[in-house]
Amino acid sequence: MKVKIGDVVLPGDYCDEITADGVKSKVVLGPGLRKEVDHVYIMKAGVLRKRNPNTFWVDSYQKRYVPSRSENVIGIVVQKAGDLYRVDIGGSCTAALSYLSFEGATKKNRPEVQIGDVIYAKMLVASKDMEPELVCVDSHGKKGRLGVLNDGFVFKCSLNLIRKILNPICPLLESLKNEWPFELAAGMNGRIWIKANTMRETIAVGYAILGAEYLSDDEIKTMCTNIASILAGHVS
Amino acid sequence: MAAMKKLTLPKSVLDMKFMKKTKERIENSKDHDNLYSGVITNDMKQASGNYIAESSFIYCTDLLEGRLSFKGMNPEIERLMEQEKPKGKEGDMQKDVSDEVLAKTMEKFNKRKRPFSPSKYNYIKKRK
Repeated sequence: MKVKIGDVVLPGDYCDEITADGVKSKVVLGPGLRKEVDHVYIMKAGVLRKRNPNTFWVDSYQKRYVPSRSENVIGIVVQKAGDLYRVDIGGSCTAALSYLSFEGATKKNRPEVQIGDVIYAKMLVASKDMEPELVCVDSHGKKGRLGVLNDGFVFKCSLNLIRKILNPICPLLESLKNEWPFELAAGMNGRIWIKANTMRETIAVGYAILGAEYLSDDEIKTMCTNIASILAGHVS
Repeated sequence: MAAMKKLTLPKSVLDMKFMKKTKERIENSKDHDNLYSGVITNDMKQASGNYIAESSFIYCTDLLEGRLSFKGMNPEIERLMEQEKPKGKEGDMQKDVSDEVLAKTMEKFNKRKRPFSPSKYNYIKKRK
């Protein structure tokens, strides 16, 4: 069936607006779209979105993570294999993380990473047919925001929720950031790591994030105020 | 084609003893092009046309960095956040005086200054 931008789309639908743009200029086809000979076809169920100039994608509900390049993910070290750590990132197979891809690591000076550690890493290689590869440094060899995440609490959620809370227009983090100190790492693979000073505060952050999934912006603000007032002890 | 010829070294130079490696390299690169010319057709080069396939959402939507810290929980991360933040708001952040206040002050300043500044009246006086 022929569909327009903003429609709910199903696999097998096609969109002629994209084809029309493709004749004139370069077009970026994001996740869920595929160019065949005659049309641009939809491959996932969701909402067809466009961002100027000429970027199209399908916003779909998804829990399964498919590794793709240069995304930041949260992984758990499951095995030490010679020069590599094997890291579970929730994809179809584990990712490889070289012990040299940490800041200041050399062959003699190995980073202190144990099995079971939670790490925040960037996807370096993610190809269809190969094991994905992670790094914990940027191109300048600095660790930046990547590395081992100590303490804290990890939970899983849908991939949509990650995109929702990391969207700059989402009021969730704006509402929470002035309430109490906390730290957060959101991996594009649907895992969130949070850390706060007390267990009550940690639970509150986790609850706020998970609760935000099906709420509108105004409802999120109300929910955050409620949580903050409960935490502050005004309401029991 | 003219541009291509400009880049290549003259044959006499390539024949010199110390240019042996460069000569080999140039010949190899020619071979490389010829090797695949039969296999990669123009149709194959232009098959994707104007379409760029991107498997990640991070290029489609503007997302924040996924590692954040608030109210001094992790000073290291907050320092990084501060470094990246001011780019957008720089214009407002660096202003000590707002545009309106500046406009009003300048107006007063100009009014006060006018009698002393060279004006058409002064000009007329001089002529007399």
